[in-house]
Amino acid sequence: MMREAVLSLQDVSKRYGTVQALDSVSFHLDARESVGYLGPNGAGKTTTLKLLAGVTRPDSGTIRLGGFDPVRQRQPALSRTGFLIEMPGTLPYLTGEDLLRYVAELKGIPRPEWSAAGRKAADAAGATENLSRRLGTLSTGQLRRVLISSALVGDPEVLVLDEPTLGLDPAARRDIRALLRALRKEGRTLLLSTHLLEDAEAVCDRVIFLREGKILGDEPISGARGENGAPTAIRVRTLDPSIPEALQKLLPDSVRVHVEGDREFSLSFSGDEAFQSELIGRLVRGGIRLSSVTESRSSLEDRYLRLVGREDRT
Amino acid sequence: MRAVAANLRWEFVRLVRSQRVYLLAIPPVAGPIGSVLAFLYLQVPSYGVAIMLGLFVTGGLGGLVVLDLSALSMGEELSRRSHLISWALPQARWEILFGRAALTLGASLGAFSLGALILWVLTGHVTFQGSALSTAVLDPGHLFIGMLALLFFLGAITLCASVITRSASEALVAGVLGAVVTASIAGYFLLQHQLTMLFPVVLVVAGIVALAWAAIRLESLEDK
Repeated sequence: MMREAVLSLQDVSKRYGTVQALDSVSFHLDARESVGYLGPNGAGKTTTLKLLAGVTRPDSGTIRLGGFDPVRQRQPALSRTGFLIEMPGTLPYLTGEDLLRYVAELKGIPRPEWSAAGRKAADAAGATENLSRRLGTLSTGQLRRVLISSALVGDPEVLVLDEPTLGLDPAARRDIRALLRALRKEGRTLLLSTHLLEDAEAVCDRVIFLREGKILGDEPISGARGENGAPTAIRVRTLDPSIPEALQKLLPDSVRVHVEGDREFSLSFSGDEAFQSELIGRLVRGGIRLSSVTESRSSLEDRYLRLVGREDRT
Repeated sequence: MRAVAANLRWEFVRLVRSQRVYLLAIPPVAGPIGSVLAFLYLQVPSYGVAIMLGLFVTGGLGGLVVLDLSALSMGEELSRRSHLISWALPQARWEILFGRAALTLGASLGAFSLGALILWVLTGHVTFQGSALSTAVLDPGHLFIGMLALLFFLGAITLCASVITRSASEALVAGVLGAVVTASIAGYFLLQHQLTMLFPVVLVVAGIVALAWAAIRLESLEDK
């Protein structure tokens, strides 16, 4: 029996003026999946989240949340989903409690339970002690926790979070990651948009790489980390005083070269050990005098850099 | 309707927390008291003339209140980008608009009406109602209804402007301009002896159109 995706985008495109923010983006999340949505600034991550929330509309394509269109069927689509999009502005004279009660009311929670629902969400996000303070007096981290609380009100089955740890100190980041792991263990479906790879590594089962509005990869995080055992990068030291400029011409186009010093460079690739040997042979035949070759398995960062590009790293 | 009620309640919380709720005290307090002091100082003898002048004072103060509350109602949220919270909740945008408009317009008009009522009572104690005294240019009852229509119209166009400009300050300017233009047109018709009850009816219809336009515009507004 086919499971229906709790969240899906099919061939979704969105253009802002001359900028193609999203170009035929398709992916879906099954229930209880925890997916990292990775890409540099301007890749289209936040645009995707705004489309999911119905905050903006796609130029083409289909978006479904729980089987419903978030623009035309807002009530059923959004009532079981919690969103945190960007760092939304807040009205400084309001308190966190005011905000959570408003969200609770709109999520259809009965009036006597508004405060309890807000407090439960705040407890989960570690925001309880600041609930009665005005939002304008909170630090970035405290405010972020209150906003995450607002996404958690009503125990939503699906959570869509945009850079939830951005701007937080290390201790607060650790706490938020622990919260996200706990939510995953509870069985929530999680879409985590971030360019902080540590967040995705800590929380996600699957990662989607996005650049310039296009999906470049969608794979289990174990695969993205290179945990299947195949070496995906080699670091080479040479006896030559400098790295030849035509180094890339010696190698297949699929191999990315990263020069890391006068006598050192690394090659990133997808392939087995035979392919690795072939690369080393090409270097030798090309006249490069090798001092040492060290193989390394890919990290998520390597995978990110290979797909998204080093120059785009933020 | 639940979302409209939620936004009405939310707007009330905003008024209280921001202390803008105290603005609503201006028309019923400053309007009548200021007017009565002026009647006594100027020795305005006629009840009708005094009521007319007092309604202008109270209505003017009510106008400032409705402009301010209406501009901030939607404009503050859009300019601060806190709509990224409210728009991602299970509610239509027109429900946000109408819930908030119901409170800002309702409270402002209510404050003016209360001020007018107090004015009526106080004025009776400081003026005379003799038939020999000069009569007001405008019938006080009609003027009261006209003022209500004007305040509704100003609030509606200010709300509409706040959606279009996404800015409370620019909406406020638009509302003030609307008030000046409307007062000028009303003055012209008054001088021509053509100011009838059709004028407030037109204002109410125009206000409803402005609110409808704002709702339609808000639904299709793209996040920047």
